[in-house]
Amino acid sequence: MKDDREQVLAQIRASLKTAYLPAARATIPPRTLVGQGNRAVMIENFRRELDPLGGKSYLARSDAEAIEIVLNLLKEVGGKELLMWDESELPVRGLGDALRHSGYTRLDVQLSQAPDARHARLLELERAAAGITGALAGLADTGSLALVSSPMRPRLASLLPPTHIALLQTSRLFETMASFFAAYPEVTRDASNLVFITGPSRSADIELTLTRGVHGPKELHVILLD
Amino acid sequence: MSFAAPNVTFHERVDDALRDQILHTALDRATGRFQTLRVNALASLPDADAVRDRARMIRAHTLSSLDTYLERFASNVERAGGHIHFARDAAALNRIVSEIARKNNVKNVVKSKSMISEETKLNDALEAEGIRVVETDLGEYIAQLAHEHPSHIIVPVIHKTKEQIGELLHEKIGIPYYDDPAQMTAAAREKLRFEFLNADMGISGVNFGVAATGTICMVTNEGNGRLTTTAPRIHVALMGIERLVPTLDDLSVMLQVLARSATGQKITVYTNLITGARRAGEGDGPDELHIILLDNGRSRVLGTEVAEILYCIRCGACLNACPVYREIGGHAYGSVYQGPVGAVLTPALGGIAQWSDLPQASSLCGACREVCPVRIDIPRMLLVERDQATRAGKMPLWLRAGLHLYSLTVRHPALFGLATMFSRIGSRVVAAPTQGWIRWLPPPLNAWTRSRDFPAFAAKPFHTQFNKFVSQRGKNREG
Repeated sequence: MKDDREQVLAQIRASLKTAYLPAARATIPPRTLVGQGNRAVMIENFRRELDPLGGKSYLARSDAEAIEIVLNLLKEVGGKELLMWDESELPVRGLGDALRHSGYTRLDVQLSQAPDARHARLLELERAAAGITGALAGLADTGSLALVSSPMRPRLASLLPPTHIALLQTSRLFETMASFFAAYPEVTRDASNLVFITGPSRSADIELTLTRGVHGPKELHVILLD
Repeated sequence: MSFAAPNVTFHERVDDALRDQILHTALDRATGRFQTLRVNALASLPDADAVRDRARMIRAHTLSSLDTYLERFASNVERAGGHIHFARDAAALNRIVSEIARKNNVKNVVKSKSMISEETKLNDALEAEGIRVVETDLGEYIAQLAHEHPSHIIVPVIHKTKEQIGELLHEKIGIPYYDDPAQMTAAAREKLRFEFLNADMGISGVNFGVAATGTICMVTNEGNGRLTTTAPRIHVALMGIERLVPTLDDLSVMLQVLARSATGQKITVYTNLITGARRAGEGDGPDELHIILLDNGRSRVLGTEVAEILYCIRCGACLNACPVYREIGGHAYGSVYQGPVGAVLTPALGGIAQWSDLPQASSLCGACREVCPVRIDIPRMLLVERDQATRAGKMPLWLRAGLHLYSLTVRHPALFGLATMFSRIGSRVVAAPTQGWIRWLPPPLNAWTRSRDFPAFAAKPFHTQFNKFVSQRGKNREG
């Protein structure tokens, strides 16, 4: 395999002497990016992009309002077990208490390195009725959420349950992915997983007919905290 | 080995495809719609042309320093705790995956879409080791159940109608017959959910690797890409060595054109960026990440006149736009990579001697170049490869003899005059009963009349008419 590496690189170097690569330049010129724009406009754009994709967005003016929206959504979903980010990672104070008070429990996502224990835990987590997460950022031009993994922020919370509820501070809205990367240049060094989520899971593999809820959540609710 | 040409000839495959009415129904339903979606999605970019120019520049620049970027990518992956493997060819890649599987006692594998694995026939290799492999992209899953290969880069079963898929699922996974895609999808979700949670290893493709950070990016709509790379203990990611971009900012440019060109979405539902295995304390994600970089001829192609085909980001737009693909579908190409991009890439990787027919599968109309998000000049390269095929002695004997005869004739004016006179009279006699069109010509000229009529020669040749016109005009001026 070491041989393969050297052989491939050597062949590339040899080929580059004769390569015909139209439009190639020695460097890629820098570009100017739009930064964080007007917040009200970004909120409007974010919602305008997300809603047609089948995602639902809500505007909450206070923690109490946000909690009320979450509890109402969970009531519709049914089921008491949740996959959740750690309370300290959720931007709504008092949400954990409110959930406990209403009888919801949080499943522990710690997956074992041992195969059988891992599979067993995953099957348990499959029961979760909903996942609740925060978001590092939102992208206004596509209606996307940016979620970053950590020990407090499991990936499965936004992936495994049929319903995903995300809490997004409107101060974290960016115009585009490029302006988000410019603000967080180290984001991929700090975390093993960064995912941009844009609407509920979907497929169009059968005759291009749109179907929602394939392997990821069928429902995505984004609560914008203003 | 991985690019072995099928034993049925290209023309036979095309004939079969053209006779397949169901295939035409399926292709018509899909490709036309894709084109409209793509146009609308690109129109949503403030300056689509400038973004495409930049995307092209990024791909061209990356390839011009590919060795540097590969080494940077490899060391950044390793710094983040991932493992890097180089595979010179298909066999090497399959061997590496098998070894990882064996070392970890892997029995069940889930896969999200990977063209590289199609190229190396990885599933066959793993199954030969007694490992169960399940495709999880809905289209790939259907193709796997049908024991077929994908016929489109983005929509693997574009060649199937929903009725055919309904019957297939009924037969293979024991669900009632549905012709409603939503019900079929729900049934497949049920079946595949267990596979994800029970798998020991997840194998995925890679859309882009980011050299500066050692990140791999994969895009899916269904979420199978995320589950494949989150639930199993081991994640193996397969990518071509050319599939890099320098920075995260460059990645954001490529993502602006990828989904728009592929499915007409502004962005896919899940754009998943992975940098290393799960970190200490993380509850989920794989314990091991292996990234395998496949060469399989790419480094050689880089040194040729068709290196530009390596700019391709596998969006499939050229397939949807191609009048040939839209008639014959993907399977007739007989290759993992179909349509215009496949017609250039397959001979480049697999050898022109075996694939001399594919560069002919084009009318050179240029629709592929028009829609390509990175503006690859596919028609130029089709001509380069046609030339290579001719030089490799791949021209049919009758054509070579015909061209010799032609060059002899045009070099002797008397002979040329005689030949055109006979053709004129002969063709007009033959075409007289059919309004000036010849329906049948003897071999080898029947290659033309098999699929279209041939017009009879004009009553007066052009040069006679032209001379008359010139002398007429001279007279008018004098008068």
